[in-house]
Amino acid sequence: MARKRRKSAPPACETAMTASSKPTISALPAALLSALLPGLGQFSARQRYRGVSIFIGFLILTMMTLWYADPRWYFSPVLVWLWNIWDAARQARSQKNGFLLPVLVGLIAAYGIGWQVLQIDFSTADMNRATHILRPMLRPDFIQERRETNEMWVEIFVPCGTDVPTARHEMDGKVAIATPDCAAVLETVIVNVSGMWPNAETEILWETPIGNARMLGGNEDAMLVQNTDENGSLTVLIHVPSLALAGAPDPTLSLGHRVYFNQHRPIGGYELSFVGGEVLKGALVTIAMALMATLFAIILAIPISFLAARNLMSGNPVTMAVYVVVRTLLNILRSIEALIIAFIFVKIVGLGPFAGMLALAFHSVAALAKLYSEVIEGIDPGPIEAIRATGANWVQVVRYGVIPQIVPPFTAFTIYRWDINVRSATIVGFVGGGGIGFLLIELIRISDMRGVSAVFITIAVIVIALDYFSAKVRERLV
Amino acid sequence: MLRIQNLSKTYPSGTQALKNVSFDVQDGEFMVVIGLSGSGKSTLLRCINRLIDPTEGKILWDDVDITAAPPAELRQIRRKIGMVFQQFNLVKRSSVMTNVLSGRLGYANPWMSLIGLWSADEKKRAIDALDRVGIADKAGERADALSGGQQQRVGVARALMQEPKLILADEPVASLDPVLSHSILQYLEQLNKEGITVICSLHFLDLVHRYATRVVALKDGVIVFEGSAQEIDRAKFKEIYGEEAQEVRAASL
Repeated sequence: MARKRRKSAPPACETAMTASSKPTISALPAALLSALLPGLGQFSARQRYRGVSIFIGFLILTMMTLWYADPRWYFSPVLVWLWNIWDAARQARSQKNGFLLPVLVGLIAAYGIGWQVLQIDFSTADMNRATHILRPMLRPDFIQERRETNEMWVEIFVPCGTDVPTARHEMDGKVAIATPDCAAVLETVIVNVSGMWPNAETEILWETPIGNARMLGGNEDAMLVQNTDENGSLTVLIHVPSLALAGAPDPTLSLGHRVYFNQHRPIGGYELSFVGGEVLKGALVTIAMALMATLFAIILAIPISFLAARNLMSGNPVTMAVYVVVRTLLNILRSIEALIIAFIFVKIVGLGPFAGMLALAFHSVAALAKLYSEVIEGIDPGPIEAIRATGANWVQVVRYGVIPQIVPPFTAFTIYRWDINVRSATIVGFVGGGGIGFLLIELIRISDMRGVSAVFITIAVIVIALDYFSAKVRERLV
Repeated sequence: MLRIQNLSKTYPSGTQALKNVSFDVQDGEFMVVIGLSGSGKSTLLRCINRLIDPTEGKILWDDVDITAAPPAELRQIRRKIGMVFQQFNLVKRSSVMTNVLSGRLGYANPWMSLIGLWSADEKKRAIDALDRVGIADKAGERADALSGGQQQRVGVARALMQEPKLILADEPVASLDPVLSHSILQYLEQLNKEGITVICSLHFLDLVHRYATRVVALKDGVIVFEGSAQEIDRAKFKEIYGEEAQEVRAASL
């Protein structure tokens, strides 16, 4: 049947078809060959490309399974191997296309093994932990109530030594007394304070001589809070914290520790919190970093872009060689992320926004020079010819024929680059490049999730605003 | 009078665009150059204002040798030769006004023009020029916001700013539809009647009949015909355009 159809085809076509489709091997040996080495049967049946593909595919699947997967995945290469034997026999009889089964098996194996390699385990997603981290993020640390503080302290010596002074402190009509005057770690001390604001929450806190604060509530992991009575007095029994002497150079030396009593009350209105201020400063540094980096990049990219423009450089072999070298360098530079360049600049100039700016500028030069050179390559020679024909001199031709053509796209690309640089500047901060990214990584390190949330919001606002602004401006330019 | 003597142009690629071309153009003529694409029409027109430098030969304009003019003098010559292009060659992103004003660059104070300052007189000229081609109201628009016919009128206005004695028009209507073709050519005809010599390359023979006072035909860079449009009979037509050619009438499109 097939033979008859082939005969009716035009002669030129027939030679081509017989050359490629005439089986040189019968079904059984082809199947045996493929059983021995996957793809070999197909290869012998003049299906070279198919044979090699099957061989490589089988090899990759087998290696992947053996190296990464547990034994239940061993069925996949076996299945493909069996299919390959059947396919070899089929190819020896007549050519058929179709890779459905092995591709399907390969995909299932790849996803299955990938699942296993990634250690995907949704049971580790602990809701309690998530809420613990996410809840503070609902209250970003930007602003706080303006409040005044009423502070008092009394000094207690730990451990007891000779000539311990009386644990009594008077200040602004307030009196704080501790009994006894000295104590060892974990011993009980009664502290009394009077003359504070009446009926007000009072935080009670321990401070070691080297300035470390220790909490006194719960298992020394919560703030001890008590209310004063209507006369502004408060008496409370505390234990000298177990870590009171941690970090002390000589634990046997009797030194004065302080118990602090702090009261706060709002005085109306709100103010920028400390973290909020740092976030705004960081945002400013980041934007400035991006601006400066873009500026330096423009200055370097403009001259370089002329060297990378094919239409200007293809005149003679020397300039063509320069073009090829510049283009290659730009492509290599462009392929290195600003983040990686930042690592190197942090090593060279030290931590801080300067390193980040240099990294961004470095990367941007390559990116901008390529975009600029493409603009130059796309210049329409027509207007230049027309301006020359009016009797204009060389400078006038550039001013009226070239610049109007390149300035709008240059500006559009530059704004786009600045936009990208602001985003990159936050990332570059992670590795010590300064700005808001640096602040973010610090806040994550100390688990200040309210601060982290403030940073997230600030970054989002900047990026959205920039996106909108840069899209609008580019729309008008192009 | 423009005298073209033994003009030849060979491009660096080896293409010989013009071979020993000679003819005269009297002041006030509407000279039309015809020929197939690639016959050398564009090269010929661009040699006259030296957008392309000819390899050999001379071009004399009122006995001044354009081909030998040093750069400063060449610019003086160019500003008296307006040019209109097939693709209009406007700066698309610039305003119509700026495009028209750029026709005045040969006259303007070079420093003022560099910072984009134009005198009131020049601005008035530009508005007048746009008015002449009927699109004064488009002065503030970007050139690429205009239709093809309007863009070519801007091209004519730009040439007018040069107060030209000669206008070179390189297939000025090849990118326009037939109705617009007549309107553009009528402007050129009007200018011609006011005393400006026009050298224009054209494709459609009926346009040639309608506007040309004299015709030069090029084939492979050689002049194969010179005379009036009426002299182009069937045999001449075959000779210029080849045996396969059929005459297409712009009006019938």
